[in-house]
Parts: sequence; C-alpha cells; structure tokens
Amino acid sequence: MNTILEIRNINKSFYQKSALTNLSLKVQKGEIFGVMGPNGAGKTTLIRIINRIFSPDSGSVRFDGNLMVDRDLYHIGYLPEERGLYRNMTVEAQALFLARIRGLSKSDAKVKIDYWFDRFDINDWRKKRIEELSKGMAQKVQFICAVLHEPKLLILDEPFSGFDPVNVELIKQELSEMRAAGKTIMLSTHNMKSVEEICDRAVLIDKSKKIAEGSISELQDAQKSGLHAIRFQGNMIAFVNALWTGFEVEDKITLGDNRFEVHLSMRGESTFEDLLKVLIGHVKIEAAWEMRPSMQDVFIQLVQPNN
Amino acid sequence: MKNSWLIALREWRERVSSRSFIMLSIIGPLIVLGLVYVMFALGGHSKQHWNVLIADPGGIMENKIMAQEDNSLTYSFADGYIEMDEFRDAKKYQKFDALLEVNEKVLSNKTGFVFYREKPSVRMQTRIQYQFERRLEEIVVKELTKMSLIKFRSIKQPINVTFADVNDPNNKANDLSGWAGFFFGALIFLFIFLFGMTVLRSVSREKSNRIVEVLLASVTPFQLMRGKIIGIGMSAFLQFVIWISIIGGGLYFMRENIFPDVMDASNINIEQLTLDANDASYQESYYAAREYNEFINLVYDRVEFVNTLGFFLLFFVGGYLFYSAIFATIGATMGSESDGQQFVIPIVIVLCLSLYAGYYVMNNPETQMATFLHYFPFTAPVVVMVKLAQGYEVGHTYEIYVAFFTLVLSAIIALAIAARLYKNGILQFGHRLRIKHLFKWLKST
Repeated sequence: MNTILEIRNINKSFYQKSALTNLSLKVQKGEIFGVMGPNGAGKTTLIRIINRIFSPDSGSVRFDGNLMVDRDLYHIGYLPEERGLYRNMTVEAQALFLARIRGLSKSDAKVKIDYWFDRFDINDWRKKRIEELSKGMAQKVQFICAVLHEPKLLILDEPFSGFDPVNVELIKQELSEMRAAGKTIMLSTHNMKSVEEICDRAVLIDKSKKIAEGSISELQDAQKSGLHAIRFQGNMIAFVNALWTGFEVEDKITLGDNRFEVHLSMRGESTFEDLLKVLIGHVKIEAAWEMRPSMQDVFIQLVQPNN
Repeated sequence: MKNSWLIALREWRERVSSRSFIMLSIIGPLIVLGLVYVMFALGGHSKQHWNVLIADPGGIMENKIMAQEDNSLTYSFADGYIEMDEFRDAKKYQKFDALLEVNEKVLSNKTGFVFYREKPSVRMQTRIQYQFERRLEEIVVKELTKMSLIKFRSIKQPINVTFADVNDPNNKANDLSGWAGFFFGALIFLFIFLFGMTVLRSVSREKSNRIVEVLLASVTPFQLMRGKIIGIGMSAFLQFVIWISIIGGGLYFMRENIFPDVMDASNINIEQLTLDANDASYQESYYAAREYNEFINLVYDRVEFVNTLGFFLLFFVGGYLFYSAIFATIGATMGSESDGQQFVIPIVIVLCLSLYAGYYVMNNPETQMATFLHYFPFTAPVVVMVKLAQGYEVGHTYEIYVAFFTLVLSAIIALAIAARLYKNGILQFGHRLRIKHLFKWLKST
C-alpha cells in the first residue's frame, strides 16, 4: 500500500455553485504532489476538505488506507495560503500551542521546538513577540509551526507566495529533505517553475473538475508538440542541405559566433536518431534534445485549449 | 475536550497577562471603593426637611425631644393614639412626613415605630432614631435610676426603632436588599458586557489575522468556540474574584479604620459621649458612620452571601454563556473587524434593557411584566438577582430554578445556533454582514 491519501468522487458546492465535481486523485507516500489550477478552480476547497475544515457533499477521503477521521489530522501539517499567527504571543509560546493542538505532549513539543529552532537558527527569537519579527522571520516561524509535529503528510497552499527568495530556497531545500526522509508533501501553487523543479506528480483542476493527473513528465509528454531542437556550430546552408525530406525546419535562432539553434519537426516515419545520423559530419553538434513543453505551457494549454 | 481546554488556557493566559486586565482588576474595584467612600464621607448633606408627628399618649416625652434646634427636623406632639390608617388618610395629618409612635411601655420594651409616607434617607432615619434615643435616655435616668447620664450610657441597651411605609407596612418594594440584589445584577451585566465584547474581539481578530484556518485544521469550529468562551469566562471569573476580594477587603478596612461603628460599645468613648452628643459636627460624623455601617451591615449581614453568591455564579455562568454565544456569532460572521458594529449595538441595547428590567422589578416586584422578565433569558440574570435579594415568597423558591433551567436551555440553543453560524461564517472574508447571510449560513450544513 503506497497510497497515503486517496480522494474518491468528491463533490462540494456552495449555495448551488459547484466548487468540486466528482474529483478523485491519489497521492503516493514519499512524493511531492502538486495541485495546480487557475484562481477559483477549487484547489483551496480540496485542501480544506482534506483538512476536515469543510466536509464534502458526497465522496470520501481515505488516509493511509482507511476512511479519514479527526485523529488523522495529527499526522497532517498545514500551511494555508493566508496564514497568520497570534501577534502578541512569543515565538516559543506560539509554537508550543500549535504543536499541542496537533497532538504532541508538552515534553515532546519542547524537544521538537529545540530541534527545529536549532535547524532554522532562530533560537534568539524564542522570547520575541510575533509583532516584533520581520515578515521573513514570521514566515520561517509559520513553516516551523506546520512541520513541528513531523507529519506524514504536509499540505502547503501557495507556499512560495509572499516568501522572500532566500526563504523560498530554504523551504524548497527542506521539502526535498523531507521527501528523502519518506514524508509526503502536497502543494498547491501557481508557480509552475516550482512544480517542474520539485514535484514528482501533479493534478490540474479547472472549474471544479480534474482535467489531468500524472507524473510531471507524463503531463508534459501529453502536451508535447513533437518538435526537436539542435544547437550547432557551422554553416546554416550546409545544415539545410544535409537534411532530407524527412525533416522540416520550424524555427531558427541565431546565437552568434556562427552558432545556431534550429527547431525541427519530423515527417513520416523519421526519428530523432535519423536526424542525428544525417547531420553528423556536416555541422558540429553542441546539443540535441526533444522539445518538451514547460509546466507553464502545459497549464496554459490545458486550461485554455483554444490558445 | 482536550483541544478546547488548550484553547481555553491560551485565551486565559492572553487575557490575564494583558495590561488592560491587570489595570481593570485593580482600578475597577478601587473606583467602586472610592465611590463608596465619597458617598458616605461627603454625601448626605442634602437639606431634606421633615415634619414628624410624635404620638405620645402616655406623655412620656413631655413634649420635648431636642435640647437644641435641628434644621432638618420639626417635631410636633399629639397626646393620643393615632392609627396608621388614620395618619395615612386624614387630611389634618397630611402635612406630616412621618409619625413616631411612642407607646406607653416604651421604657420597658425599648421599641418605637416610625411610619413614613416617603422613604427617608438612612441619614434621616439615623437622626430620628438618635434624637429619640437620647431623649429617652434622659427620661429613663430621671424617672427610673439614681445614676448619672454618663454611667447610664455606659450600660444602656439600644432602642429599637422600626421604620415602616404607611402604604407598604411590610416593606416589600424597593428596600435596601433590593438594591443589594440590583448591585449584584449590575455586576453580572458589567461582566457579561465586558467579557462578551472580549469574545467578539478575540474571534474577529483570529479571523482577520487568518490564524483561524491553521486552528481549524486541528480543531472543529465548535471546539474552538467552546474553548474561547471557556477561557475568557475563566478570566472573567478570576477578575470577579479579584474585585470581590478588593472591594470586600476595602469595605472591611473602612469599617474598622475610617468609619468605626459608633453603635458598637467597644468603639464608644463614654466620657466624651455626653459632651459630644450636643456637638453638631460630632452628630454629622455619627450619622455618616451610622449610614455607612448600615451599608456594611447590608453587604455583610443582610445579604445571604452563600445563597446570593451561589446563585450569582450560576446566573453569571448561564448569562455569560447565553450572551457570549451571540457575541461569538457576530465575531465569526462579520466580514472585517470594523464590520458588524451594526449587530453589536442591538445586543448592547438589550443588555442595557436587562439592567433597566432589574430596576423595574425592584420597584414593581409583583407585576406580570416582572414575572416575564424573571424568566426571559435576556433579562433573567439581572432580574433574578433582584428577586433573590428581595426574597421569594414561601413555597415559590422553585421559581428561581425554573428561571435557571430556562436560561440554561436558552444558552444551549444559542450555543447550537452559534456553532452552526460560527462554522459557516468563520472562513468568509471581506463581505458586509447582512441578516440574509445569517439565515443562509444557518440553513447550510
């Protein structure tokens, strides 16, 4: 059993307006799972249902193989998009309070606080009130409060929005280390570059419905155009002459110093290997690759297919 | 319940460590004590003037009462019996404010009766009693003993003077106990208002700074609301205990050190008394001390503290739960911290009306409206305190339990409605709260 979270046929509507329609998905243990979608698609509703803040109209949520119950929330960490802290509490008191409502005993919570405060090097802030901290410092505290109880599943809603670049890198590094330690991470984001960089799999939701789910490469492959790119040094005419009718030049970028990047499509039964074979000896090939759409392209193509 | 308890403890710590809580805990009761001091030390100088008719069929008083003139009192004498009804209704007696009845056996039974039309101030009562008592001392010494007046005063027993309203001889309405009950009711009103508003602010602040979503991922909205109400209620209780301790201690200090009870034999300087008795400034301080000690007597002795405090706590808890559910609902459903004022004002008006209801019942305890206000959950916490102090009629004590049961039932219903509105409203932001929102969220699961 590798599935930690399974959503089965969830429906949720608010006053006749559907927020989620028959949505199903699976999140595997030890992966970073991205939830993508335009504003208002239903991502936050889905996350709130998983966190039992909302209950679905129909459908079920299974956690670690069983129907989810309140106790399972102790194994989930949550950093919402619009996150806040008690401004007049000290950093330590805040962390202790949030750890305890996540099920840790007082002594365990203190041990974890020591560990995470050391790890993020924020021991000097313990007695500071949140209102005395800068935004970046508060962001670190918010992240620590979400992971303090070392959850099996960490859910982050737009984790990189509002974070400064230094903290974004710090969080990405932490997420990678948590994955390596066997934890599962689910993140909802508009930042497609981040999805491409750190996610293993993702789901795309639009207008309350799931429109795609799979590994990042599967999602990219499904939207790929069949273009290949060659970067070479040499004569452009020699390059064109070497091609035979099996290939068609779609685009050309002049890089300088007699270097070019050409995008080609295959005709008929021609393959990428055939292309390389006909070019060898005519130009000096620096790089050759199959052109895959970025996650940004995948997102746009799936959400706005007419474009 | 564990999560609610954690939330309650957090709320409690936040309130108790806040500067405003500490300030209110100390300054609030000191202000009350200050007012009491000012009321008794400086007050009572109003120039109320009374015409008192002394009915003295035995001629004991010999048509005399004071060695010197008192600007507040004019005495007239009648040498026959005057019935209370006759005094109340006869035209010739209408110019008199009160009738002091001196029965023929007054020297042995040491009891006098004063029937009044309008209730005299405590100071006026003290004046009449004091002057009557001094005159009787002179008579007793002259007629019955061979000892000196000073010696007599050292061994004398006080004379009992009973004041009765000619329209309400049993003194059912508007007596001092009623005021004591009203004082407790007002205290409930004050604490419900202060801490109900604290619940509202705490909920709306959690909502506006968005910590609420983090919390709701660990606790249910009902647990959150319950913890908040319990925590703030605990801090209210602590503050109440501090208030009662400081006020109680302060009154005791004043009684012992500032206004010693001159009626208490241990505080009397016998040698000075005869000399002082005719000294006007001494008399004024005597009257003030008597008036003050009347209040102390009321607070310490006449109010049944175990009963009153017990029911005070029950109705405070019931009233607090009832109102705080409403305040929590407003806090959870408003779109921003500044929004929702329009819904706060009606609740505050209702709370103020409950205070007025207490005053109304104090003056009109037997009306149907008083009965309704006694059971109506919005007014019951204040009204029951007044009724309790006035005393329930024999065989009617069950009424207080019915009122409490009604209040608790109403609080449970209010909390159930609040929990649903809280759940559906707490994650709604940026809207302007309308009644239709409340109905919509109430219907929503």
